[in-house]
Amino acid sequence: MKKRLGIISLFVILFIAFITIWNYSYQLGLEEAYIPIEDHSNIYAIPSESGVFKRSEHALDYSNMPIDENHQRSLTTYYKNRAYHGAPPSIPHPVEEHQNMGGQSCLKCHENGGFTEKFKAYAPVTPHPELVNCKQCHVEQNTKTLFTSGHYASVEAPKAGVNNALLGSPPMIPHQIQLRENCLSCHAGPSAPKEIRVTHPERVNCRQCHVPNNKEMAAVGTFKRVSNEE
Amino acid sequence: MQNSLTSRRNFLKKMAAAAAMTAAASMFPGIIFASEQDANLPKGANLDWKKGPCRFCGVGCGILVGVDKGKAVAVKGDPNCSVNKGLLCVKGYHQIMCTQAKDRLTHALVKKNGRYVQTPINEALDIVANKMKETIEKHGKDSVAMYTSGQSTIPEGYVASKLMKGAIGTNNLDCNARLCMASAVAGFLTTFGADEPMGCYEDIEHADYFITWGNNMAEMHPVLFSRMLEQKNRRGAKIIDFATRTTRSSTASNKSILFEPQTDLAVANAICYEIINNGWVNKSFVENHVNFSKGLTNMGYGLEDKFKFSDKPTKIDFESYKKFLEDYTPEKVAKYSKVSVKDIKYLAAIYGDPNKKVVSYWCMGMNQHTRGTWINNLVYNIHLLTGKISQPGNGPFSLTGQPSACGTAREVGTFTHKLPKGVVTNEKHRRLAAKIWNVPYERIPSKPTYHATEMFRAVDRGDIKFIWTQVTNPLVSLPKTSRYRPGMEKESCFVVVSDVFPTPTSDVADVILPASWHIEKSGLYGNSERRTQHWNQMVEGPGETTPDAWMTIEVARRMGYGDLFPYSEENHVEEIYKEYTQFHEGAKHGMAPLEVLKKESGAIWPYVNGKSTQWRFNAKYDPACDNGKDFHFYGKPDGKAVIWQRPYEPAPEVPDAEYPFWLNTGRVIEHWHTGSMTRRIPVLHKAVPEAYVEFHPDDAKRLGIRNGENIKVSSRRGSCILPASINQRGLPTKGQVFVPFFDENMLINDVTLDAFCPISKEPDYKKCAVKVEKA
Repeated sequence: MKKRLGIISLFVILFIAFITIWNYSYQLGLEEAYIPIEDHSNIYAIPSESGVFKRSEHALDYSNMPIDENHQRSLTTYYKNRAYHGAPPSIPHPVEEHQNMGGQSCLKCHENGGFTEKFKAYAPVTPHPELVNCKQCHVEQNTKTLFTSGHYASVEAPKAGVNNALLGSPPMIPHQIQLRENCLSCHAGPSAPKEIRVTHPERVNCRQCHVPNNKEMAAVGTFKRVSNEE
Repeated sequence: MQNSLTSRRNFLKKMAAAAAMTAAASMFPGIIFASEQDANLPKGANLDWKKGPCRFCGVGCGILVGVDKGKAVAVKGDPNCSVNKGLLCVKGYHQIMCTQAKDRLTHALVKKNGRYVQTPINEALDIVANKMKETIEKHGKDSVAMYTSGQSTIPEGYVASKLMKGAIGTNNLDCNARLCMASAVAGFLTTFGADEPMGCYEDIEHADYFITWGNNMAEMHPVLFSRMLEQKNRRGAKIIDFATRTTRSSTASNKSILFEPQTDLAVANAICYEIINNGWVNKSFVENHVNFSKGLTNMGYGLEDKFKFSDKPTKIDFESYKKFLEDYTPEKVAKYSKVSVKDIKYLAAIYGDPNKKVVSYWCMGMNQHTRGTWINNLVYNIHLLTGKISQPGNGPFSLTGQPSACGTAREVGTFTHKLPKGVVTNEKHRRLAAKIWNVPYERIPSKPTYHATEMFRAVDRGDIKFIWTQVTNPLVSLPKTSRYRPGMEKESCFVVVSDVFPTPTSDVADVILPASWHIEKSGLYGNSERRTQHWNQMVEGPGETTPDAWMTIEVARRMGYGDLFPYSEENHVEEIYKEYTQFHEGAKHGMAPLEVLKKESGAIWPYVNGKSTQWRFNAKYDPACDNGKDFHFYGKPDGKAVIWQRPYEPAPEVPDAEYPFWLNTGRVIEHWHTGSMTRRIPVLHKAVPEAYVEFHPDDAKRLGIRNGENIKVSSRRGSCILPASINQRGLPTKGQVFVPFFDENMLINDVTLDAFCPISKEPDYKKCAVKVEKA
């Protein structure tokens, strides 16, 4: 009798357990499929601040690199490739792959630079390798003629060597830095135009001494003391 | 085989060459740099380069000023100065340009019938002296006050102290360093009994880790940060940024850890908990060199006038300290500090690793804090528990914001409670001052009177009837200027302002005295690493501009104290320095003689037997250690430093439903303090023409605020309208806004709170509650 009671209660327990577990899994099954959305919003890089340090791991290499006198770029050729200063440069060489955005293929040469036999030149380094749709802004030049000519206003490009306020003081940054936050990509290494190649790439924190002289803001006018007596 | 051998040999050769180059470059990295600057100079520029310290921050870079036909025309870093090795920051390179500003104060101006009238300097000084004398006769000694600066030179601070405390006999002398360094001083005195850092900048070349506590060094101490970056890139040293706001420093660091304002107190305790719990305590160091103490808690916040507080230290033992820390397990602290348990343990593991050298850096984040003294104590606790102190590359290092906050404010002692050596409450110290000053000992009062905030409250109340400010701009830099500006405008107080440029402070003056700028006078500064720096006058100042020290002396003479101020106009700087150094004679604080300072780019005190002492309290480097042990904290009578039991306590004003944002204030690299100099330098003004209010992008999005839109920031005290700045220079944490305070057209200090640390009396500019709305 006792034995039977034991067996019955065991089955009762098992049955209750079955009901509970089944119920639980049934309830779970009713819930909609849910894929948690990862919240990336708390990662903000402050592009204008973090950009300057981006290529700093190469800074020492840059400062130890000998200068290849025979294959230097100049500011003239640098500007020649742009509609106006600050405009995205066009692609000055033939491009074989026309279907892709450019990322994979362009970055092979333009992420870190290097000498190309074919063009007898050092590939310029992009300041924004994270933007991989290169051809969104950089396009080929497939003809030299124009559809129709026009009067294009020319913006004078900033000159090198005239941007310091005092004798020998560090020059100011004469251009906008949006998308060009990383100074070293254009101002260091063998592909840097010789007029603007920095003598001290190892300093890294460029904007410690060089500050922009044309803020991309509405003009605030000259600083005037409100309560000046005169 | 042959091939690989040669390539290996080649490789080794290259490695050796590279190593030699690196070594040479790290020894003299700046020399190459400065010579390149020379190379850029136009040919034929026949400049006379004159040596001095930079005018701006507390780093104390050596500068060389190029003088051509009596005019300063160029600045470069001094390659022979070990502080900066030839490098400066953008402010340093352009500093001389401010002197040419059109609105330079060139003559004394005296207010007559509501108009400023140009007055010969001698007459103006007569007016100041007569007014001061008359006020004392009518209302007593304690009705006159002087408010000076951490930018005053050593002689300027010294004569101000001698005039107020020695000649007149009042302790109504305080300075703006109260607003920036007082907590550091109180921290040093409570923990070590001796002010100023034990280490020096050379620590940077030895440390494996730099942990910065609420300190945006890339912008505020850029030259030191560049030395850290150099070590990061060459040796793989690591920078960890522990802050309430993402900044340029965070982006350059190896790791950035953000915390909720005020919870640094709890995180520091949690780090100590972890160190003890994991057995990382340096037991022999703690047994030999450390005592444990606790002080009063619930100290208050000094918001009410005439607030008084004095701490009552009680000795405790290690076990009760350990018990106290149980409230600060990483798990408990993570909940309110918003620092993850992992990050707290990470920080503790760095401090706790006996094989890693760690330097902690901080400045205003910890000092401008209603528990500023405590948080200074707590970071010392970490270094004392692990014995990582007073050794090359190991130590806590409190940075300063002003060029002579150490040299003048702290060492000369231009605080109400201080004397050039010691404090007014100590009879021995008063007797020494009286002896050197040659005044009756009874004349120096033994009770401190007003600290900075309370001084301006007393002006507002009408208790102070005459105030003379020098080298500072309190109506931009004080907290809660919305109270103190109307206070200074009251008829009850006669205001004298000495400055180089007109400022909101000089706008309320009755007499404006035209001061010489930096290189237009000779002087001495003292930087953060105890380095005393001297410079000779380099150019003539315009009009009737006069050195501040000389104006003080002239007023003292007119008041009848001529016999106490027997200095000559040409040579007063040297005469005063020689008199002053008598206060510090001895191995613990001996100052370098002038001859040395003229030749070298500064020298670190204690200067003993012709040598700078780089690491104090360490018997290997510091000749003042005489207890026969490896370390001697001789500031305390028993030679032991103190680990303080200090709890976490909340800020006096926290965001609520009505005022939902924290307001944090600070600086940018381009501007220095209230901008009276840097805004007059075209390069710097063009780079950052106005102040702004920084938002976290999520907050901006939620409130529909766009970049550049005008925003009204208001607190219970006042309001200020500024353009919004989103994801630009800095990134405050969610629920926080940040405003730089340099802009006198957008006075954010009308909004800030004048709560202060009850021990140090230093106000907290980093935390108060505000609301924001589109303007």
